[in-house]
Amino acid sequence: MILQQFFNAISLGSMYALIAIGYTMVYGVLRLINFAHGDIMMVGAFFAFIFFSLSSNFFLAVLLAIVAASVVGALTYKVAYKPLLDKNAPKISLLITAIGVSFFLENLFNMIFGGTPQAFNYPPFFDQTIEISHAIITYSSIVTIVITIFVLCIVLWFLNRTKYGMAIKAIAFDIDTVKLMGINVDFLIVLVFVIGSMLASLGGIFYAISYPSIDPLMGVLVGLKAFAAAVLGGIGSVLGAAIGGFILGFSEVFIVAFFPDLAGYKDAIAFVFLIFILLFRPTGIMGIDFEKQRF
Amino acid sequence: MKKTILTLGISALISTNLLAKDIKIGVVMPLTGAIAGYGQMTKKGIDLAHEMQPTLNNKDKIVLVYVDNAGDKAQTANAVNRLISKDKVVAIIGALTSSNSLVVAPIIKKYHTPTVAPVATNKRVTYANPYMNRACFIDPFQGKVAAKFAVDNLHAKTAVVIIDKSQAYSAGLAKNFIKDYKKRGGKVLKVLFITSGDKDFKAILSSIKAANPDIVYAPLYAPEMALILKQAKTLGIHKQFLAGDGVSDLKTLTGVAKDASNNLMYSDHFNEAAAPTKLSKQFVAKYHQKYNNEQVPSFAANGADSYFIIVNAMNKCKNPADKECVAKNITKTKKLEGVTGYITIPKSGNPTKSAVINQVQDSKAVYKATVNP
Amino acid sequence: MSKYFIRLALISAAVMILLYISMQYLDSYTVMILENLGIFIILAVSYNLINGVTGQFSLEPNGFVAIGAYVTALLLLDKNAKLDQFMLSDPSDFILAIHSSFVPALLISGIVASLVAFMLAFAVFRVRGDYLAIVTLGFGFIIRIFAVNQSEYTNGSMGLSGISNEANLMWIGVFVLISITVVLNIVYSKFGRAMKAIRDDEDAAEAIGVDVFKIKTYAFMTSAFFEGVGGGLMASLLTTISPEQFSFMLTFELLIIIVLGGLGSISGSILGTIIVIAGMEWLRFLDEPNFFSDTAHPGLRMVVFSVILILIMLFARKGILGNKELWDIVKVKK
Repeated sequence: MILQQFFNAISLGSMYALIAIGYTMVYGVLRLINFAHGDIMMVGAFFAFIFFSLSSNFFLAVLLAIVAASVVGALTYKVAYKPLLDKNAPKISLLITAIGVSFFLENLFNMIFGGTPQAFNYPPFFDQTIEISHAIITYSSIVTIVITIFVLCIVLWFLNRTKYGMAIKAIAFDIDTVKLMGINVDFLIVLVFVIGSMLASLGGIFYAISYPSIDPLMGVLVGLKAFAAAVLGGIGSVLGAAIGGFILGFSEVFIVAFFPDLAGYKDAIAFVFLIFILLFRPTGIMGIDFEKQRF
Repeated sequence: MKKTILTLGISALISTNLLAKDIKIGVVMPLTGAIAGYGQMTKKGIDLAHEMQPTLNNKDKIVLVYVDNAGDKAQTANAVNRLISKDKVVAIIGALTSSNSLVVAPIIKKYHTPTVAPVATNKRVTYANPYMNRACFIDPFQGKVAAKFAVDNLHAKTAVVIIDKSQAYSAGLAKNFIKDYKKRGGKVLKVLFITSGDKDFKAILSSIKAANPDIVYAPLYAPEMALILKQAKTLGIHKQFLAGDGVSDLKTLTGVAKDASNNLMYSDHFNEAAAPTKLSKQFVAKYHQKYNNEQVPSFAANGADSYFIIVNAMNKCKNPADKECVAKNITKTKKLEGVTGYITIPKSGNPTKSAVINQVQDSKAVYKATVNP
Repeated sequence: MSKYFIRLALISAAVMILLYISMQYLDSYTVMILENLGIFIILAVSYNLINGVTGQFSLEPNGFVAIGAYVTALLLLDKNAKLDQFMLSDPSDFILAIHSSFVPALLISGIVASLVAFMLAFAVFRVRGDYLAIVTLGFGFIIRIFAVNQSEYTNGSMGLSGISNEANLMWIGVFVLISITVVLNIVYSKFGRAMKAIRDDEDAAEAIGVDVFKIKTYAFMTSAFFEGVGGGLMASLLTTISPEQFSFMLTFELLIIIVLGGLGSISGSILGTIIVIAGMEWLRFLDEPNFFSDTAHPGLRMVVFSVILILIMLFARKGILGNKELWDIVKVKK
């Protein structure tokens, strides 16, 4: 039984981790909590749904969906956030705009698809299971976990070992100096949004495979919890976001498993973590202090 | 001479049509939002009924005025007020869920507007309200139906009950089932809770596996039921699930659960295979014609019956726009030939209806039995 | 001072007479819209106090409105109504015992919301800016989850119905007048100046001796009080409440209203309320077949709304009145 829950937890944690990384990267470079990020997860799932109903190649549909979601993510930056950043608008305006973008995406998809959950179709491959001493594990869980770890490694490698990655870390440290050095900051920020959106939409697709019922509001709660995970792990740290995601996944699964009466409070766990961390250790687990380190 | 007759004839036709009034019936339904699927199903039934009977016996034309409440209470209140004071409707069909119908009830009572709720099953909806009625059975009955079926037909000695604590419908139905099931000698091993919007049910499914009941009674809505069935299949849990009319949105249910939904049994208002009246059979045939041979959902049947109940009451009134007369005549409805059966509505506003038990097979509702009150 | 009171009395009397006439002669649909307007004005004006005037970006009015609504509902329902309704678990004895009439219920709702705000202030004001927003958002969520799960207090997601409908246009008018008067008095007092000082530069305010925490908490509690009263009025108006009504959507609506009207401007909030609430009803036509298209596009209305919000933020960030009041602008024009 414990083994079963363990795999559920890692699977759920992976999805939170994927989405949390996007939040943390955007916050790192822009000091902005991108409320609309959770909705990118929803957008990714819906695009996959659309593309898979058009072409019977699931892999291709997923790829196209990730690309499309990245475009949407980059667009939200270009159209909604950049103009305000250029005008040096107060933070509150950016936050309100982010909320506006979030609502726009949710209602747009609500208008196109209706609010009733859609059945998400995927190849039966993912439904197959293997059994390890009474724990039944679906192929989809395994794929989720493996790809998440793989992607995490790539992102960390990118940030620490490539020129662009270093530049992004520099922006998070001191954006003005970087601009003064003649580096195309705008391009790099777009890159951050693209990477974040790719990860979020991938997370959304994994979520849709595990729980094949998608609706325009599916990203709201998951997004908020992923944000809590990012804060828990240390906002600004990619590794922290991943760790936070897994901790949240484990907490949700095991608290419900050991205290079934608390099942209704499952969603509150993320917020409790969030509030505690912000009150007592705002820099989170990885303890990133923005004056000293990054990512 | 011919010309005069022609002109006289045409003017007679025109004047009778001009004299024929428009009688408005308002409809409050969730046409957008999470439960839009149910609202759209009901709308199809109402529209078809309107096609079948677009005018009253005195040639007055019936006009349907739809207002979307998006499943929200405040919008429901606004919608009802708008229909009564701006559109000046004579009667109202709505709302869909019990929660929203509870909002409708006091308002239509205040403004003396006869109303029929198509599928709201919570018993409080028609309390102490001579203007509020419904076209369906109530939860105490539906719970009993399930308990009776579980004991008599499924021979289930033990059951586990799953309740969606965020839906009045689910809790009401479950409570009634448990009461009646225990009376019939059944044993409820466990009561488990979920919340609408939950996606992961592996924890409660493990509980069910451990308890090993004969059946699982889960009066839930389609989205949650679908995920539970799917995950049950993945975990290798093969138990008989029994549900209520909330899962009748088969498109959503089977779309998500696919073949995991087979063998699910549920109580419902109607199955086209057991069309009880001549009107039913007509309705079913027309529905197939209009909607591409799609199976008739029970909500559509109830929507149609709501329409027929109101029209029947209007026809009995000298002035069909007289709201008091229509309201009184609705509660005098006796053995009206409807789609779901012969409908009689007493003063309480609650008709005595039979329930059917359907079983899901390959995305279709297969008729299993009728349970009479 | 007496000139002020005379002016106040005259305006109040004029408003009440107008409302009385409206109730008698306008149709129920318009009256309902006016009642909604009234409640939202109370909510917007008080939300503006903490967000616009004190500059603390709080995202939890939905929590306080929920508290107010539930307290009023539980106080207005009598014992039998409760025993009848509570479905998932039997109501606790405390819940069964409490009962009161309309006005005391509203006042108690406000006080309870205020007390909750007081307790939360210790946690919430330890952080600033975006983190404050997130923490308040979190508390708003937790309050709602609490309402859904503690069914022996709140009847869970079933909500409560059969609440007596005593909130009519006159009563709502009374509370609108009270809330606007109180908030205006605060804003134009030394407390208000301190709040604005905190908004403009918190560290400087602290440096010149403003007790920042006390002032913020004061604003937070006052805000919560009226949000609670507004919630109670809402419960009595709709006669039935349930947790979904108090979701983040409510906070979002209030946010649009105060941003549109101008953060920090009371008259702006009133204007914003009228535009948004009346506008939402008017924009309904977008959802139905209309001039622009032949088929219905349900949901278009909300899409347009979000676009409008984004456009306001991009081009008219300060809202209609900025942080000035209507009378400041009119005076200047003279």
